[in-house]
Amino acid sequence: MKKLALIVIVLIVALVAPLFAQGSAEAASTGFAPSKDIDWIVTSSPGGGSDIYTRIISDIMTRLDVVAGQTFLVANKTDGGGEVGRLQVSRVNAGNLANHTLLTFNSGDLMPMVKNTANRLANFTPIAVMAVDKQLLYIGEYSKYKNFNAVLDAVAAGKQVVIAGSKGDDIATYEKMIGELGVNQNQIAFITNDSTSAAITSILGGHVDLVMSKPAAADQYVVAGKLTPVLALSKARFTGNLASAPTLSEVGDYDDVEVPVWRGVVGPKNMTAEAAAFWSDAFQAVSESNAWKDEYINKYKLVPEFRNYMEAQVYMAEFEADYLKSLGK
Amino acid sequence: MENLQLLLDGFSVLFTLQNIGVTILGAVLGLIVGAMPGIGSLAGVALLLPLTFKFNPTTAIIMLGALYYSNMYGGAFSAILLNIPGDSPAVMTALDGYPMATQRKRPGQALLTSNMASFIGGTIGMIILTFMGPALADIGLKFGPAEMTALLLVAMTSIGWLVGENPTKGLLLTMLGILLASMGMDTLSGSPRYDFGSIYLLGGIPFTPFVIGVVGFAQVIKLMEERNKKTQVSIEKLTIKGSMLTLHDFKRLFFPAVRSGFMGTFVGVLPGAGATTAAFMGYAAQKSFKNEEPLGTGAIEGIAACEAANNGAAAGAFAPLLALGIPGSGTGAVLLGGLMMWGLNPGPLLFTNSPDFAWGLIASLFLANIVTLVIAWGVIPFLIKILSVPTKLMIPIITVVCVVGSYSTSNSMYGVLIMFLSGVMGYVLTKCEYQTAPVLLAFVLAPLLESNMRKAFIISQGSLDIFFQKPISLVFIIILIAIMVFPVVRPLLIRLGLMKRKAS
Amino acid sequence: MSSVEQKDRKFGVKQYIPIAMIGISIAFIWMGFAKYGFWEDMKGPRPGFFPVIISFALLVASLLALVFSFKEKAPSWPLENWLVPLSVVVIMGTTFIIGLLPSVGLYVLVWLRWFEKCAWKTTITVFLIIMGIVIGAFVLWLGVPFPKGLILNLIAN
Repeated sequence: MKKLALIVIVLIVALVAPLFAQGSAEAASTGFAPSKDIDWIVTSSPGGGSDIYTRIISDIMTRLDVVAGQTFLVANKTDGGGEVGRLQVSRVNAGNLANHTLLTFNSGDLMPMVKNTANRLANFTPIAVMAVDKQLLYIGEYSKYKNFNAVLDAVAAGKQVVIAGSKGDDIATYEKMIGELGVNQNQIAFITNDSTSAAITSILGGHVDLVMSKPAAADQYVVAGKLTPVLALSKARFTGNLASAPTLSEVGDYDDVEVPVWRGVVGPKNMTAEAAAFWSDAFQAVSESNAWKDEYINKYKLVPEFRNYMEAQVYMAEFEADYLKSLGK
Repeated sequence: MENLQLLLDGFSVLFTLQNIGVTILGAVLGLIVGAMPGIGSLAGVALLLPLTFKFNPTTAIIMLGALYYSNMYGGAFSAILLNIPGDSPAVMTALDGYPMATQRKRPGQALLTSNMASFIGGTIGMIILTFMGPALADIGLKFGPAEMTALLLVAMTSIGWLVGENPTKGLLLTMLGILLASMGMDTLSGSPRYDFGSIYLLGGIPFTPFVIGVVGFAQVIKLMEERNKKTQVSIEKLTIKGSMLTLHDFKRLFFPAVRSGFMGTFVGVLPGAGATTAAFMGYAAQKSFKNEEPLGTGAIEGIAACEAANNGAAAGAFAPLLALGIPGSGTGAVLLGGLMMWGLNPGPLLFTNSPDFAWGLIASLFLANIVTLVIAWGVIPFLIKILSVPTKLMIPIITVVCVVGSYSTSNSMYGVLIMFLSGVMGYVLTKCEYQTAPVLLAFVLAPLLESNMRKAFIISQGSLDIFFQKPISLVFIIILIAIMVFPVVRPLLIRLGLMKRKAS
Repeated sequence: MSSVEQKDRKFGVKQYIPIAMIGISIAFIWMGFAKYGFWEDMKGPRPGFFPVIISFALLVASLLALVFSFKEKAPSWPLENWLVPLSVVVIMGTTFIIGLLPSVGLYVLVWLRWFEKCAWKTTITVFLIIMGIVIGAFVLWLGVPFPKGLILNLIAN
């Protein structure tokens, strides 16, 4: 009985709380330049990838002095796996607050949001896409298979192959890949880990056959010879020490599989077009700065790929539509 | 002895005035933040990370190490004095620490025990780290999903040992803890479960507000009954002299601490196991050794066992972190992020590419361990004064701490709500003579157990054989069976005269 | 909850706990099978697998606990104790209007001065210490953004 009451209370508060959590509306501004502190919401914990990305950008923006001397207040809202923070941003009322609210938004945020909640991209104003990332499959040092063809042969011979990877976009990439290969989830199985580093741990220990990772997370293991790339999940080969990995079309009679993992920024739906244009320019200035290349792109081995607010709108919407289709929604 | 030489080189990097200064600063700040309920080591390291930006890379990394490490000390303080664990490993410390401080009226000794044990455990962990860090990391890798499942099953079963007089109630709360932990997102399938349509519950029940509620807030509600008692502990005992450990106390804490230090270091190396598992296993193991007082009533052995394991694990976790670039916990991940921000790439190449950094960091852990011990000894006489505050004043103070602490974990009122609900639940359960520790432990261990078990089943295509074919896992399964069968067989052994009856 | 001492063998809170647990376990078992799936061939356990097994164990434990509960002494429930949770409810409520910090500050003052009947000196001292810790450590140092409440938000914007 007590538990039922508990559940009911949680439900009520969960429904009511967001109503209180927002600020109030006030007069809309004409033209746009930041006139107050900027709230920047990140839906993952401090120290994580999205958090670093946000803090580096806000830091560069302050240094470039493109925000009229205003301060960024970065807030980590991790409740509900980040869904609470996203919902709050999507519901900010029109007005000054809406124009001063930003949300770090990546493909890895969009997928669980669309999959598990009713919140959609349409409730946000896309501002920019800053960079993209792609996946590769790697084998470990003492792997049973030496290249991807050997993996496919083993599958054809009835053996089960296990891939370890992370959440979100890794799963989407995996599903697209087995779809293209025409095998089922038992022939090539996938283990979802909390993070790529956990997935790499399991292949270093020899517990799985393949690991899926983005270039940055696996880089030093490749340099140390502990991991070897065997398949590029991209439309073209990677460069540098990853150049040896063929794309899927080179391996056999398949199309290339690619699920671009992007890092972007959005604002609330009620952000004005002027404000969105202003922010888009500000992000463009960051993406063209040397600081961005040195402190982020090169360090985390991403592909710089800036899209302004209009291009980002199209790009993100397309991504969402594709993903919804793959979910059958 | 090459490693020893390298460690000494590390110390030579360390011994500049500035570096020693930041180690002390890091240790003090880490201690304070660690002691604050709701902040804990993960948020503590993350919040203090920006402080290191002001220094050069080596100094910054040394400060980070000190911060991380001293955080582990701080968690025990509020657990012992207020029965509010500052972080999750301290749940175990509170079991004996709080009774020792209040019922046995030896708060100073309780804090000193936890400090000494932390020091011993940490030192053991660091020595092991120094001489066999990379080798240890490789052993950790051998623990795949099947091995971890078997190990965690042993840990889960031994929660039963903690329960004491009423196994039914203990079992009930263990299962409740597991179910509460299963709410939210299912990692392996990436789909929500038991979320009851709330987006707050999608992320599950946050641990820190939960533990503040079940232990701390429930405690305040109960304190109302005693609020007209003058203080929790009479004032004349609260002096430095009255807080010293006797030689006998030290003897009692030493062996449990050494044993747990080794065990904790090893658990800390395992992927994802972390300090909480270590503290818990250290405590559970201590149950099977001789204790002067029964565990759970304020026994020095109990405090020593879990605190030493906790700090051993904190040191042990550096082995996979530095040698493989694998963070064993959320805190480790933040630390890794901090190290990478300084251009240091923990991983297989670290010890060859940047030995000064790596050994400087390890050396700073040694220094932080000593510095924290000394500082903690210095503040204990002042800290225990908290217990001389009249109970009726403590009630609003602790209530505010509970509210503020639970808000701070995720900066939302949802944390306060969870704290409130779990507090009322904890109070009602305690009143009906339920021990609430199992619910917290199960809550921490269950997600680990479940994800490893399901990963193992994916690898084995649903076959149970995997647990018996791998030697490490087989050993744990045998231990598990022994633990389960023992209570049944014991009366038989006693009757046959093969075993002595345990005096209770 | 009543503050009256309950007699043994009578139905009370000590029975409600196992009964609530029985309810939870049945709900979790049902949802586990119906919504989340238990086991699939080849793929092994599904999201409902682990919770369902645990729920069965909880069910057994609760039934046992229910049986044993009649042999236990009923606890007393002093009415006064509920003032603590009540004050947190009030704090949560007023937080939405005047913000968290003023709410806890007011609570400390009201509690000590009017409920505990402490002298003004004690009340103010405790008030200053606790607000000092909260503002000094949590707000200024760690930068925790406590909610400001409706009123302050109206003024600030």
